[in-house]
Amino acid sequence: MNDMRLFERSTAMDDVKIAARKVNVHYGAAHALRDVDVDIGDRTVTAFIGPSGCGKSTFLRCLNRMNDTIAGARVSGEIRIDGDDIYDARVDPVQLRAKVGMVFQKPNPFPKSIYDNVSYGPRIHGLARNKADMDAIVEKSLRRAALWEEAKDRLHQPGTGLSGGQQQRLCIARAVATEPEVLLMDEPCSALDPIATAQVEELIDELRRAFSVVIVTHSMQQAARVSQRTAFFHLGHLVEYGETGQIFTNPKDPRTESYISGRIG
Amino acid sequence: MADISADGPRPAPRAPTIDQVRAGLQARNRKQTRLKAYGLLAIGFAFSMLALVLLSLVVTGWRAFTQTHVTLDVLVDPAVIDPAELPRGNFDELLEASLLAYFPNATERAERRAITGILSDGAQFILRDRVAGDPGLVGQTVRLRVPVADTYDQLAKGLIARDTPEENRRLDDEEVARFDVLEEAGLVTQPLNWGLLVNTDSRFPELAGLRGALVGTFWVLLICFVVAVPVGVAAAIYLEEFAPRNRFTDLVEVNINNLAAVPSVVFGLLALAVFIGWFGMPRSAPIVGGLALALITLPTIIIATRAALKAVPSSIRDAALGLGASRQQAVFHHTLPLAMPGIMTGTIIGLANALGETAPLLLIGMNAFITSAAASPFESATTLPTQIFIWADSPERGFVSRTSAAILVLLVFLVAMNGLAIWLRRRFERRW
Repeated sequence: MNDMRLFERSTAMDDVKIAARKVNVHYGAAHALRDVDVDIGDRTVTAFIGPSGCGKSTFLRCLNRMNDTIAGARVSGEIRIDGDDIYDARVDPVQLRAKVGMVFQKPNPFPKSIYDNVSYGPRIHGLARNKADMDAIVEKSLRRAALWEEAKDRLHQPGTGLSGGQQQRLCIARAVATEPEVLLMDEPCSALDPIATAQVEELIDELRRAFSVVIVTHSMQQAARVSQRTAFFHLGHLVEYGETGQIFTNPKDPRTESYISGRIG
Repeated sequence: MADISADGPRPAPRAPTIDQVRAGLQARNRKQTRLKAYGLLAIGFAFSMLALVLLSLVVTGWRAFTQTHVTLDVLVDPAVIDPAELPRGNFDELLEASLLAYFPNATERAERRAITGILSDGAQFILRDRVAGDPGLVGQTVRLRVPVADTYDQLAKGLIARDTPEENRRLDDEEVARFDVLEEAGLVTQPLNWGLLVNTDSRFPELAGLRGALVGTFWVLLICFVVAVPVGVAAAIYLEEFAPRNRFTDLVEVNINNLAAVPSVVFGLLALAVFIGWFGMPRSAPIVGGLALALITLPTIIIATRAALKAVPSSIRDAALGLGASRQQAVFHHTLPLAMPGIMTGTIIGLANALGETAPLLLIGMNAFITSAAASPFESATTLPTQIFIWADSPERGFVSRTSAAILVLLVFLVAMNGLAIWLRRRFERRW
């Protein structure tokens, strides 16, 4: 047991992208997240699992400061990405979110063309010098999101006209177009059918080559399929965090075991 | 068994659910039918009232859309009109001369005056303007169609009945007879009354028109639009997208809703005290009226804009923010364009309300008698509703039908604006 933990720690410490220490989140009077410590590795897929309301989405939204947009949300503790505290007063959330992209639960393409959807991020950040540059970014992003073949002939048609799975891949293309270093995914497949889910999961595995991916999921099978490391949240606590295989086959905490065997949650 | 009896008396066996439902079903259905009938009745009542109003307006107003005219051949006599001093020429005398040609027996001065009284007092100015526009007409005969005086217009339209006893009639038998002479000569016509739209206000109903009021309304609504829309939309964007939720913004929100309920006359008093009293802006001017109406429209626009912004799903905002857009970019690139149809609809409905607003304009003196169309928002003017107010207040019979006609014109504008709002909503509204 001890050996195993040492082994984990050493791999995790090799390449830490995000380091969170004593993160607490309050929504008004509600204490949503309690003393969460976690190290998230670079170029890995990290899954957050846990029953509804356990704080996993809350924690995810801390990582790109989307909680700032919620009235009454307070975040304390320390989150460092590449060693820089993202809650430092000098950090502009705009800058942070260019580095930490996000894909939401429900596909939310802008009611604009596919091209405009993908090019929006690069455009506001000034990443393309000219039209040809932008075309290249759009193509590359759509290819990464495995949507290019389906979308290349209808780039200027509305993104909202795509199917649900295509819309979610469009949102992924839009998120990767700004070349973020971390990609946060908040239950990206919960609104998709099994085929679209399989496509997105395949995509997540591809994205791991370039990004550090953090995914919140309700499906333990999904966590087991796509992630290398898994964190189990319960009632605002980070109960257990470790290699995905270990969490699912040999959980150390009885609560984790109860959850993955279907007794709580 | 023992246990059950220990719990007390057994409840009476209940009828099966389906029987109980069936027993009450008729009563339930009757209730529903009754409710539907009440609804239909209410709608029927509202519609019949509306139809009644429109009917009464059309019945009294339609006659104002024609105007009795007399066509005369007038010799522009160089002996009377000095081409060098055209504006001072005695054009009345020319009209009199051509009219008297049909009454060879009229020699007495009083009778001659009565005959020229058939024509509108403004007829001489119509002739003057015609000759002034083309001085070459001096010495020639001009065919001219001039409006008749209001009472003769009423006679021609049958509003003064010939079978009324003479002592109760506004025109005596002689006057009626003289008019008949002209009618028999084929001089009297009743063409469409374009003057109602293109003339400015006048003391004489036959010459009075709505141009001044239409121009005044245009200026007032322009000022209202230019002031209320940017301020209202900016306020709504701030409150909806940027303002923190605290006691202060709650207070602001409550008071915006209160403002929407403040009687418009209060805003008129405010405009009178502040814009005219303190800032020394001109009285009766569209600039003041427009500002007063802007204050009245502001809450409507703020509330409509906030509702439109609120209706844009937060997932769009999140998507933009998640990509690293600043709040301002998220609002201006995504939320605001998506809210635009709602904002436009609210704005048009606000302006349509402003179009019909009367009380505040009366307070700042926009019911003055003004016979020229305002060339700028700083000149005195009237508006459609205040013009209706003036005409409704005028004693001349001819203003009765003109009042109704003016109301119909106002209603046409209102319906057009609301129609535009509905069209915009249908065309651009997005369902989420």
